[in-house]
Amino acid sequence: MATIVNLQEVTKDYGQGQALTHALRGVNLIIEAGEFTAMAGPSGSGKSTLLNIIGGLDRPTSGRVLVDGREIKDLSNTELGLLRRDRLGFIFQSYNLIPVLTALENAEYVLMLQGVPTAERRARVREVLAEVGLEGLEDRYPRQLSGGQQQRVAIARAIVSEPALVLADEPTANVDSKTGKALLDLMHRLNEEKGATFFFSTHEEAVMKRARRLLQLEDGIIRNNGATADIRNTE
Amino acid sequence: MNSLQYGWRNLWRNTRRTGITLAAVCLSTAILMASYGLMDGLMQHAVSNATNLVVGEVQVHAQGYLADHSIYKALNEPDLILEAAKQKNVAAAPRRYGYGLVAVGTKSAGARFWGVEPASERATFDLAQHLQEGRFLSETARRGVVLGQKLARSLQAQIGSEIVVVVQAADGSLGNDLYTVTGILKAAGDSIDRNAALIHAEDFVELFVSGDRIHEVALNSRGMVPLDKLTELLSIAAPEEEIKSWRQLMPEVSDMVNLFDAFIWIFGLIFLLAAGMGVMNTMLMATYERIREFGILKALGATPWGIIRDVAAEALVLAALGTVLGTILGLAGSYYLQQVGLDLSIFAGTYSVGGVAFNPIWRATISPKMVLIPAVLMLIIGVVASLYPAALAARLDPVKAIHRP
Repeated sequence: MATIVNLQEVTKDYGQGQALTHALRGVNLIIEAGEFTAMAGPSGSGKSTLLNIIGGLDRPTSGRVLVDGREIKDLSNTELGLLRRDRLGFIFQSYNLIPVLTALENAEYVLMLQGVPTAERRARVREVLAEVGLEGLEDRYPRQLSGGQQQRVAIARAIVSEPALVLADEPTANVDSKTGKALLDLMHRLNEEKGATFFFSTHEEAVMKRARRLLQLEDGIIRNNGATADIRNTE
Repeated sequence: MNSLQYGWRNLWRNTRRTGITLAAVCLSTAILMASYGLMDGLMQHAVSNATNLVVGEVQVHAQGYLADHSIYKALNEPDLILEAAKQKNVAAAPRRYGYGLVAVGTKSAGARFWGVEPASERATFDLAQHLQEGRFLSETARRGVVLGQKLARSLQAQIGSEIVVVVQAADGSLGNDLYTVTGILKAAGDSIDRNAALIHAEDFVELFVSGDRIHEVALNSRGMVPLDKLTELLSIAAPEEEIKSWRQLMPEVSDMVNLFDAFIWIFGLIFLLAAGMGVMNTMLMATYERIREFGILKALGATPWGIIRDVAAEALVLAALGTVLGTILGLAGSYYLQQVGLDLSIFAGTYSVGGVAFNPIWRATISPKMVLIPAVLMLIIGVVASLYPAALAARLDPVKAIHRP
């Protein structure tokens, strides 16, 4: 199985002097293609920092970060942008759709950046929107959609370009439990049927249960790193 | 969804701000166009008065004639000049000049006599129609004279008045004769107004015993032949003679035209900068309001250049819309100023600059350049003004931007 993410002794510090904060303290992590991995931990444990570093949105203080075989620290900002565009998908906690774009236009944004011809990208986006259960809602603007529907658009936007890795920051945190379960079902199905690799943070028990692999992050250190069932058995 | 469509939608997220900026761009464009039209109108009026009335675009004299206006310094071969002009379909008027005294009753004054060929003058210049009263000289010599406005006034001459003329002829004799006033010119510039006495060329030859001497050939293509081409043509036809363009003959008018030209640009620059500041302010506000959105776009893979392109496209849409509306308003205003004009007579009456008379009704011209130059400049300034906010957006740290409340 191909390695998508390889973190070696990654640290991340914020501030300096007495205000120095160690967000990550020597994180080692490998994520293989096709994984469905959750990362749990209390607030301030470094979950978002880790996601940001893997997503090329932030750079580590030390250590090596290889995403899709490329060392993050060697890439310029533009190269990082291209890596995110072509190899990564993002799902944010608060949907973060562009308000002036319709569901279809939001979902096709990355394909547009990639220069995919209009007809082809429209066809692909319609197909993906149908897969996430938004058929018939393509022309609605975010304000015309429920929270769950908006997050489905965000999921469609993240997977439509078939990235190597989809990073999700607490994707079900802002929706009710029923919608959260439906979203999780959707991500699970996309993982199984399309082979999309998911790595997401969560603090919800129900979400952790669905992950095949669960990481426990505490004070910037991964405490447990294994199959969900194994971790739960040790607790 | 391209950058322009995206920009268009973003503009209407804050309709009031966009409306105010649109109004600023629209008004700036309209004022710029109307001002350009007025200035261009004034310049064209100045150049037209300077060239079409009497001076022409180019004049040819014998070397040294302009320094002392001696009756003996005549052109060597005026026929060659007239023939060269004819071949290029450029109208030309040969003229003879001499000085003398004129008197009506007890009133007398010095005068400069113009020996003109009425048919050539009519074909080349507007002077024959530029009469306050009476008529221009007829084709045949009949001892008629057309006087400058102020000369007629100082002589208290009227149409039909008899004028006694005394001159020193070219052969040294005293020439004198009696002429009848057939016309009085409108204001045509101070020099003409004060001392011009136009008579038929044949009358001139007889009065001054000047033989076939021609002192000046004035050419006027009415803008059909570029000035440098006309000068080049004449320098080939008459290499020995002194060839001067209207810009050299009337440096004050030429300077004034250049000054107006510079003034248009300075005036335009001020308006463009003001409009540009408006666009920049709008785009800065829009950028600050959408920092989180730009962070998301960067997280999704938008490159800094892509962000710059999106912001610049939004500014371009704003500037283009304002420019289109401003062009409509500017053209309407310019049309009014072309048809009705601004009446400056209460401030200046009839006035002249550098010897060229100006109509106190100031009219605008409408031309492609008076539309295109302000419109294109406004579009450019709109986009340029957006580059600073665009660069700010492009340089945002996506993590900080996304987590901005």
